[in-house]
Amino acid sequence: MSEEKFQVVVIGGGLAGLAAAYKLAKAGREVLVVERGKAPGAKNMTGGRLYAYALNELMPGEWGDAPLEREVTREIMMMMTPETGIAIDSSFGSMNKLSYTVLRAKLDAWLAAKAEEAGAMLVPASTVDGLIIRDGKVCGVKIGDEELEADLVISAEGVNALVAERAGLIKPVDVTNVAVGVKHVYKLSEALINERFNTVSGKGAAMLCVGECTKGVSGGAFLYTNKDSLSLGLVVDSESWKKSKLPLADIAEEFKQHPAIIRYIEGGELMEYSAHLIPEGGIKALPELYRDGFLLAGDAAGLVVNSGFTVRGMDYAILSGIAAAETANEAIEAGNYSAATLKSYETKLRQRVLQDLQTFKSAHDYMVHTPHVFTTYPRLAAELMQNIYRVEGAPAKRITGIAAQTIKGKMPYFDVFKDMIKGAGSL
Amino acid sequence: MKSFNMDDRLAKNRFDSDDHNPHIVVDKIACKTCQHRACTYSCPAERYKWDKTNDVLSFDHVGCLECGNCRLVCERLKEGVSGYSWNYPGHGKGIIFKEG
Repeated sequence: MSEEKFQVVVIGGGLAGLAAAYKLAKAGREVLVVERGKAPGAKNMTGGRLYAYALNELMPGEWGDAPLEREVTREIMMMMTPETGIAIDSSFGSMNKLSYTVLRAKLDAWLAAKAEEAGAMLVPASTVDGLIIRDGKVCGVKIGDEELEADLVISAEGVNALVAERAGLIKPVDVTNVAVGVKHVYKLSEALINERFNTVSGKGAAMLCVGECTKGVSGGAFLYTNKDSLSLGLVVDSESWKKSKLPLADIAEEFKQHPAIIRYIEGGELMEYSAHLIPEGGIKALPELYRDGFLLAGDAAGLVVNSGFTVRGMDYAILSGIAAAETANEAIEAGNYSAATLKSYETKLRQRVLQDLQTFKSAHDYMVHTPHVFTTYPRLAAELMQNIYRVEGAPAKRITGIAAQTIKGKMPYFDVFKDMIKGAGSL
Repeated sequence: MKSFNMDDRLAKNRFDSDDHNPHIVVDKIACKTCQHRACTYSCPAERYKWDKTNDVLSFDHVGCLECGNCRLVCERLKEGVSGYSWNYPGHGKGIIFKEG
């Protein structure tokens, strides 16, 4: 046995890996995090919003200095046509610090510092190339010619889980279960953001759009207010986009010129252009979460839910990191790292994370196979609103008449009915 | 508002590029037989282009945002057939998100 053996080696210093390392270090374990970026966060990107309960579970009462951008107190859902935006705009007096916009370069660096403070070791700028496997048990990681032994390896390597895939521990992620996100960060003064979003410092808005922003392809656009910048981008189903043959980079650029969007970002200075994949396959695409000497957490395990209204992944990453650390602690105490012992990881996840994935098991399929949501409905909504507000001296009609006139001939009522029923059962 | 082409956009990013060791390898000659060329319109950083004059793929790993979409839309990259491979850059090279 090598002298340099760690109790736990974590692959990936994102939220899942760092949460696991933080908890393990707090429990006095020898834990090493191997991160491929020059610093934690250097390779990570989110839209994005973090639901704060997860941070509170990770470090109750001790996340007050976390680099959170703005508390989300305004939620906007928008349907877009080429010229129009129809929005449901909900401003809440208080959301009780429910969720915050975040930027990962800052957030991950902060969490890494917390984990190191607690006693975890972090090796940045190192890419894990493979696993040491003996008699079917994962016994460590390989980094170039170097081998690092460990009682237990936690893979929190992200959506492109090359290490776990190549070791044959999980099935490769499939294009039908992935969405691709592209994001622009625009610098804008805090005061101007407050003014444009009708908000105050420390509070802000989250906007999700469907329709023209993705040219009707399954997916949507997002706009989040950070402290002194805006995160603006698209998320599209990767397989649907492949079929669409549309130029992704051009559409992402074109979208910002939409009249409903440009008024928010006008005058902003582009700070960064980024892209990332999102595992959206849900429970149906769930890989094996544990093997002998091995656990899988965060995006690598596909722990993401896109319900259409809320998009969650970072909170699940933290919860899975906590659960992985708890499971590792049990295994260390028992001196047993077999899959039979590690099985309790899945039991822990089933209480909430996997239950949510189960609840939304049909959401991804619904969105990919209900094209009207991204094409016909935004157009009908825009026409309906225009017809409602149109007063030109012709004989007036009641609302039902206007609605009937708007929908007539555009699509069969039966299809609308079917999409509604299916949606009610999926989202 | 000003439109940015891809070079303008990527110029805003921080990279520590490994110019001589591409982390993604494609066989541009073999790519001629590809039926969909999805990489040319699915890559958020437009790293893959079809050179119409010479009827051949052009690819530049420098400027890659490391999202992995090409690895999934391209069957050859995904399966890692001969002449094709997809890896993350080593030693902290590649994109360095300062916002994220």
